Amino acid sequence: MGGRAVSALMLLAIVAVWEGWVMLSGVSAILLPAPSQILSVLWQGLTDGFLWPHIRITAAETLLGFFLGSSIGFAFGVLLAEVEPLRRLLWPYILASQVVPKLALGPIFIVWFGFGLTSIVVITALICFFPLLENTVTGLRAARPEQRDLFRMLGATRMQTLLRLKIPAGLPLVLAGVRVSMVLALVGAVVGEFIAGSQGLGASIIAAQGMMDTPLMFALFTLITVMGMLFYQLTVLAERWLLRSRQKGHER
Amino acid sequence: MTDSPSFLSIESVGFAYPGDCPSLDGVSLSLKRGAFHCLVGRSGCGKTTLLKLAAGLLRPGSGRVCIDGQPLTGPSRQAGFVFQTPSLLEWRTVLDNVLLPVSLHRRVTSRDRVRATDLLAGMGIEDHARRYPWQLSGGQQSRVALARALVTDPPALLLDEPFAALDAITREDLQNDLLRLTRTQGTTVLFVTHDIAEAVYLAGHVSVMENGRITHDLAIDLPGTQTDDKRYHPEFTATCSRIKAALARSDRVGSS
Repeated sequence: MGGRAVSALMLLAIVAVWEGWVMLSGVSAILLPAPSQILSVLWQGLTDGFLWPHIRITAAETLLGFFLGSSIGFAFGVLLAEVEPLRRLLWPYILASQVVPKLALGPIFIVWFGFGLTSIVVITALICFFPLLENTVTGLRAARPEQRDLFRMLGATRMQTLLRLKIPAGLPLVLAGVRVSMVLALVGAVVGEFIAGSQGLGASIIAAQGMMDTPLMFALFTLITVMGMLFYQLTVLAERWLLRSRQKGHER
Repeated sequence: MTDSPSFLSIESVGFAYPGDCPSLDGVSLSLKRGAFHCLVGRSGCGKTTLLKLAAGLLRPGSGRVCIDGQPLTGPSRQAGFVFQTPSLLEWRTVLDNVLLPVSLHRRVTSRDRVRATDLLAGMGIEDHARRYPWQLSGGQQSRVALARALVTDPPALLLDEPFAALDAITREDLQNDLLRLTRTQGTTVLFVTHDIAEAVYLAGHVSVMENGRITHDLAIDLPGTQTDDKRYHPEFTATCSRIKAALARSDRVGSS
């Protein structure tokens, strides 16, 4: 808890120095707005309702893309971990699909899925897919050889070994992938809006840039940061709950 | 002595890991029903491999393994296996771990739960039934692993240095637990260890293994009942020295 207090103090200190410097140097608000100005823009946007639809859109894109990408990533991870020939066959293609900058695929997604929500969700899902796939494939190998021998000895079926040994043993790694995925999902949604969105926090940043409204841009950055930390905390809470019976320190 | 048929028989079994020289070479071993047999040898002499062959976890390259007259074709449900580490499922409670051999095949009944709790109570850890493995000491985890291997009352029990990582006092307690539980059930036991005193204390027969072969076979016939006092009997020490000498001899044979 001491660490958190120090972190909060540090934030206050940075904001104070920032505020003071902007005031004393008289730098233009177009270059660097003061924290007080950013907060008042943010407050106004929240109270007059201007920001809420954008928050809802970005949150929806993030969560849809996250759930879609992670569940497909997990399913593929299980499949590739269980069927070794399939893994050898498909791995180069999966790797290639990840090495391609996914935002470069944005324009083609606009052609395929249209401008807006669907394209952005697809980009986000594509970004979330890989961490889950990678961690699931690795996680399903986490069961110790003796535990595998035990299941063989007990005459467990392949499905039982998967559901009752491999997935539970790999769960900490899978959940670490979920955490990474969640953070990437918000990045995917915001940057996806840069290319394919007319609504949402990312699209609003582009709009604010067009109007040279730097205080609004900073207010949107703040919102996105808070939203990302909130989503991240939710995954941490879910992880803690799922691993509640395990030894502390086992989670990575 | 040779009139009763053997329950677990290993018949001139050979085995080699792929791309390696043979780790077992024509090994034969025969255990009567209810026998307690120890395999002693240095690390890497092939004793764990032999145990896995007896369990059906490995398939012999030549020869065969029979349990109750039936040749093995895969892991045998007739045998319980205790590994070098307790290898419990860390996300399940102690009771769930003990009941795993049951729950993999059918719904757990209240009778199964009573049997599992009795086994835990017999080793003095019934209070831990609802806890998780990481909350237990090493000795307690080993007891849970033993209870798990015995919960279905298998006619044979195979153990791979199960107590090697424990301190001396805990190890003696567990040896006594094992003797008591297997004797009341009449379980046939094949126990692998590198500890000569452990083998002499537990077994009716001790086989010495060296370089993939059984080089010596000794019947242990010590006076008195199986109690802790036995360990301090001169006859006990003499038997240990005999096995140690046998190990040293086979070492010379192996290196010549």
